[in-house]
Amino acid sequence: MVAAERGGVRVISVNRSAESAGVTPGLTLAAAGALCANLITAEADPEGDRRALAALADWCGRYTPWTALDESGGLWLEITGCGHLFGGEAELLADLGRRLDGFGYAHVAAVAETPGAAWATARYARPVADATLAPLPVAALRLPPATVEGLQRLGLRCIGDLIRLPRAPLSARFGPHLLKRLDQALGRCPEIIDPRRPTPAFRTRLAFAEPLIHRGGIEAALKQALDCLCRQMAAAEQGVRRLSFTLYRGDGSISEVAIGTSRPNRQPAHLARLFFEKLERLDPGFGVDVAILAAIVVDPLAPIQSDLASGGETQIAIDHLLDRLGNRLGPSRVLRLTSRASHLPERAHHAVSALDAPPQQHDNATTHAPRTPRPLRLLATPELIEVVAPVPDHPPALFRWRRHQHRVARAEGPERIGTEWWHNDPAELASPDQARARDYYRIEDTDGGRFWVFRNGPYRPDRPPRWYLHGFFS
Amino acid sequence: MTAYAELQITSNYSFLRGASHPEELMVTAAALGLRAVAITDRNSVSGLVRAHLAAKRAGVRLIIGCRLEISDGPDLLCYPTDRAAYGRLTRLLTTGKRRAPKGECHLSMADIIEFSSDSQVVAMVPPETPDTAFIEALHKLVCKFNSDSYLAVSIPYLGDDRERLSALSVIAATAGARLLATNDVHAHTPARRPLQDVLSCIREGCTLDQAGHRLFANAERHLKPPEEMARLFDDYPEAIANSLRIAEACRFSLDELRYEYPVDPVPDGSTPQLELARLTEVGAAARYPDGVPAKVSRQIEHELALIGELGFAPYFLTVHDIVRFAEQRGILCQGRGSAANSAVCYCLRVTAVDPTRIDLLFERFVSAERGEPPDIDVDFENGRREEVIQYVYEKYGRERAGMTATVISFRTKSAVREVGKAMGVSEDTIVALQAAAWRRDWAEVEDQHLTEAGLDPNQPTLRRLMILAGELRGFPRHLSQHTGGMVMTRSRLDEVVPIANAAMDGRTVIEWDKDDLDALGILKVDILALGMLTCIHQTFDLIGTHHHRALTLATVPAEDAAVYEMLSAADSVGVFQVESRAQMSMLPRLRPREFYDLVIQVAIVRPGPIQGDMVHPYLRRRDGREAVNFPSEALRQVLGKTLGIPLFQEQAMKIAIVGAGFSPEEADALRRALATFRRFGDIHKFEQRFIDGMLANGYARDFAERCFRQIEGFADYGFPESHAASFALLVYVSAWLKRHYPAAFACSLLNCQPMGFYAPAQIIRDLADHGIVVRPVDINISTWDCTLEETALRLGFRQIKGMRQVDAEALVAERGDGFGSIIDLWRRTGLGRGHLDRLARADAFGSLDLDRRAALWAIRGLDDAPLPLFAALESNLEPEVKLPEMSLGEHVANDYRALALSLKAHPLALLRDHLAAEGYGVCGSLAEIADGKLVKLAGLVTARQRPGSAKGVMFITMEDETAVANLIVWPKVFEDFRRQVLSASLLGVEGRVQKEGRVIHVICQRLSNLTAMLATLGPEDTAAPRTSRSLRLFSRDFH
Repeated sequence: MVAAERGGVRVISVNRSAESAGVTPGLTLAAAGALCANLITAEADPEGDRRALAALADWCGRYTPWTALDESGGLWLEITGCGHLFGGEAELLADLGRRLDGFGYAHVAAVAETPGAAWATARYARPVADATLAPLPVAALRLPPATVEGLQRLGLRCIGDLIRLPRAPLSARFGPHLLKRLDQALGRCPEIIDPRRPTPAFRTRLAFAEPLIHRGGIEAALKQALDCLCRQMAAAEQGVRRLSFTLYRGDGSISEVAIGTSRPNRQPAHLARLFFEKLERLDPGFGVDVAILAAIVVDPLAPIQSDLASGGETQIAIDHLLDRLGNRLGPSRVLRLTSRASHLPERAHHAVSALDAPPQQHDNATTHAPRTPRPLRLLATPELIEVVAPVPDHPPALFRWRRHQHRVARAEGPERIGTEWWHNDPAELASPDQARARDYYRIEDTDGGRFWVFRNGPYRPDRPPRWYLHGFFS
Repeated sequence: MTAYAELQITSNYSFLRGASHPEELMVTAAALGLRAVAITDRNSVSGLVRAHLAAKRAGVRLIIGCRLEISDGPDLLCYPTDRAAYGRLTRLLTTGKRRAPKGECHLSMADIIEFSSDSQVVAMVPPETPDTAFIEALHKLVCKFNSDSYLAVSIPYLGDDRERLSALSVIAATAGARLLATNDVHAHTPARRPLQDVLSCIREGCTLDQAGHRLFANAERHLKPPEEMARLFDDYPEAIANSLRIAEACRFSLDELRYEYPVDPVPDGSTPQLELARLTEVGAAARYPDGVPAKVSRQIEHELALIGELGFAPYFLTVHDIVRFAEQRGILCQGRGSAANSAVCYCLRVTAVDPTRIDLLFERFVSAERGEPPDIDVDFENGRREEVIQYVYEKYGRERAGMTATVISFRTKSAVREVGKAMGVSEDTIVALQAAAWRRDWAEVEDQHLTEAGLDPNQPTLRRLMILAGELRGFPRHLSQHTGGMVMTRSRLDEVVPIANAAMDGRTVIEWDKDDLDALGILKVDILALGMLTCIHQTFDLIGTHHHRALTLATVPAEDAAVYEMLSAADSVGVFQVESRAQMSMLPRLRPREFYDLVIQVAIVRPGPIQGDMVHPYLRRRDGREAVNFPSEALRQVLGKTLGIPLFQEQAMKIAIVGAGFSPEEADALRRALATFRRFGDIHKFEQRFIDGMLANGYARDFAERCFRQIEGFADYGFPESHAASFALLVYVSAWLKRHYPAAFACSLLNCQPMGFYAPAQIIRDLADHGIVVRPVDINISTWDCTLEETALRLGFRQIKGMRQVDAEALVAERGDGFGSIIDLWRRTGLGRGHLDRLARADAFGSLDLDRRAALWAIRGLDDAPLPLFAALESNLEPEVKLPEMSLGEHVANDYRALALSLKAHPLALLRDHLAAEGYGVCGSLAEIADGKLVKLAGLVTARQRPGSAKGVMFITMEDETAVANLIVWPKVFEDFRRQVLSASLLGVEGRVQKEGRVIHVICQRLSNLTAMLATLGPEDTAAPRTSRSLRLFSRDFH
């Protein structure tokens, strides 16, 4: 994995094969390439790594509800009292290892009496875990790099060296944090690890005295939660884009559904309708103790002024329809067309998920956007037409399309549009690319029909030009 | 026949906008039969000299023009009709550029209105949407420029061309402007569209797929034939006719720029020539206190006559004035270049090379036929050159002096990167392709090389990338400043060429580079920086202080046999120019005995003689192993001093003239063709002509070919005798200082770092080998610089990594009688803990009897709290702490980390038992081992070199505690052991000894990376896991 840093692209992490070829983190990409000619690199994605680790932490919920991320790229599992479910702590560790192997993750795990000791053992102990921390390097104490470096400089390289020294001078030189870490690892003082919790922007939690089993009860709970959540959002002028509803069942398992909206929304009725189409997927099992409704993605949403003109209403109705279709069919199946900056007409638009926010069009000062209007309707494939036109680049006087003859009354053009050569055969680069440019004309026939036609390539005396109809103006 | 002049052309000197070189545009324009062409680059005339020369060659008339980008209005095309109008245009550009940061030009409509209208023809470029602001601006323009105002219109095939044209013609008619037909040319051929698109992407920082409307819609903006232009404008024939009208009116050519040397004031009644003669006479009397030798005065007379004949006296006076300024300020300097090595320059103190010591022909500089100005470069102490440059600015004024520009062009590496990025190619493909092209001519990169780099040569994107990167190579990218070429003029420089701000404060730069200036015959004086001059100056000062002997470049005793003896033994670490590995292996073969031998020594280890295969023949002849004969009587004149072998650039050029029958202009054109216009490839023509000429004059084909290869080598790294002579003097002076005052010389070398070929560790090692004691950095003794203590050298704080000069000076200022303890030091100097830490890591507390660990512990314990706690610390109320003892190995390892050297022991001495057990011998044994024997050695790598002239051979220098060993790695072995070679700090070598006289090499057969062994000295104290834990050593790698 590589990342662009000041002074060039550098290697961030390597796999075993790269390491055996001598590639180490910190090298510049050029230096790494010199060491290993067939190096494969990918852009490092720390945020993605973090997300993946978080997902893994959630998955580890199968062993203990109490999981947390560690800043150095590890996971904490508080398994006090959980070992017996797997036949012991060692068996739990073995099961975890097997499954991670199955996923293809390289991993090291250790069980210890204190978080500090577990951290140190996982990272620094030899495979056969020694019960004592003394021989482990001081870095195993989760100390800031500067502290580790300072200790090493003084020849204090392993935890045992620290244990032997008087505490006061150490504390005077390295601050209380060093002793705290030492004590935490040795179990002389406690350490609390915050369990990982999703931190939704808005959240409503309902606890039920009697476990819920029926759908009716769940629906009622959902409505109640939605009302509450929408009030919170209204106060903050926010609207929800993604919302999850999680049932915590008595047996410790969960069941969850989520919905998305095309625009920020905080109407309980609309949101409820989106959920209802999915509620059958929720399984209350043997009863639900707790339900949590969490707004995972929110966007600003100003209070809506009710609009006299009907336009606003229509838009809202379309949004609601899109939301329902999207949640029912899946967001990737409800599309909308959006424009894309390209000179080539057939590439000037593309479809995106209707639930995604409309893309921002960015204006650029040095733009060569078309000066002439584009037709509203474009044929999926341009259709060959027969044309009578004066050479070399005059508009058609007459053309025949689908056996109908059209006499041209008015015309404008040509507009010459080059191909996107970077998608063509490289051999064409060497030859003038001209040959493939299209000359477009806007024409109106004597019946008032308006067409967009083009000649493929400029006129050449040795070859009759080929003309196509590409679109219709209204 | 239809006639048309294309007056709106954006060349690639509108950086990242135009897609053709001026040369390509001129050739095409001539081929299409255009009446005239104007290059109108954006706010710039930097491509005009090239265009001017190319237009002359191609036979098309160039109209001088410029496209002015106006901040509050449409762009304007501006065409000066005469010299005065051109001067006003360049002044306008200067105004716009001087008020803007580097690379920008800020002009407003108000500036244009203020800008004098006489003899300017101006055409407005309509904006995308012709709005009212544009119409108003056009009206203003017409008010100002009357009948010389035009509206530029073109037919870019954008669909509404005719509608737009008719609308614009109405606007123009209403305003009273005439229409001017142009094609808004951006390329000489439509085939450049892909490159044009790539350039747009580079400019906009996007990929082709993202670029969208930032690209042109089509390829129509290219040079079109007159008939086609007439057809496109058939409804507006006057627009075509107007192009000819302007072409007719604008007769100004760059040939009219008459350059005049600035004339320094001379006493009343005198002339520059008389003044020069007077100054030379005064100088000669001072140089030769016992009377000027007859030979020298004859030479002076001869030179002065020649200077007078050519009118160069003001130029010599200018250089003299600059040198005099430097001397007054105590800045050491030394002139070089063809004109510098003259008796006149010696008397004027421009150079210290005594004309009696060397026999150089003064005529050579005056190629009277070429009418070119003489060439004098002056080297100054690197730290003080800026003073000289600022003096020149001050003396002549910003409007009469400017720094020469350098055009920075796309090289293979940058072209591949930028095209690759525009095409959205992944970073690793770019790097792999760069690696495949590394050290290869672009044309030589073959499919096989790509496959070896793990690329698929048939992959379409890669094919496109290869083609386009090839086209982009050589495209100008931006202007930068020349290393020191100052242009001075008598009249205003800003009326010759625009002057812009440089990136560096206080510098102003013109828009033309040195080739442009040469072509126009404009004088420049190169004010260069040379570190060795600083070093020599400092050594002189040290000798003055410690040995009470005053020396100057000219008074260092000449022709000292001991100096030549030392150099012949390759004992040259630190000596100017001859300290590199290649030079060191040449010294014992050449065995210099007199000054001229040093001139040859400097010039012979260069790509020219090496590529021309001239080195070995010369050495054979010198040793008397080969008869000295001359290819012809004519060439005896040329090659006499160098035993019949051409070694200097002048000789190569002379061979072209005498041997191949070139005229001096042709010979010069050949040199230029090779150096500058390589890509426009007239080279084969020259080569054929050269070899045919040599054959016709009866020379052997083999000799002719070698001579030509040598000329090719010179083109890139030209090293003329006149420069070699000036450098040779510095070689001699630095060698003399090293021989007689080694401690002072090494001290100055260390204080001038970074400089030269060797790192401080090697300089100090060399010093120790010469029996000089070197003492460690100490807080109670050292200063920032290294110093001399009697005959010993004391290291300065500057050796400590990360130490700042201000902190060191603050420490020294507070020191008084010395610091009694760390707390004392801390309290008195107020230095931060980080700085103290740095001193401790460098083990600089020896005089307090604290080793680095004890010092670090004490520093850690310093408390910012109020005084009572100090008392507690000082009275040792803290419990006694016993830190682990530091081994010698750890100390040495830490010395290297903090100082990049260790005075305590050589790391390999500590590893010796271990190495011996693995069968490694010592480098010191090489002298006794017979030629051809196998050896197994280990050493710290101090330098790796893979010179371009060595065809892939890598030279490695390594050292152990006994000696330095020179390794040669052949390409085959290099490929097999690439990783070991490139990454090892401690290298193990098995190979064969090769001896040639006193030169010993080891030809490597197997290499191993023993770097891990260094870690056993002492683990690196860093918290970063799994990074290289070895000692980081400092090899200087040269490519």
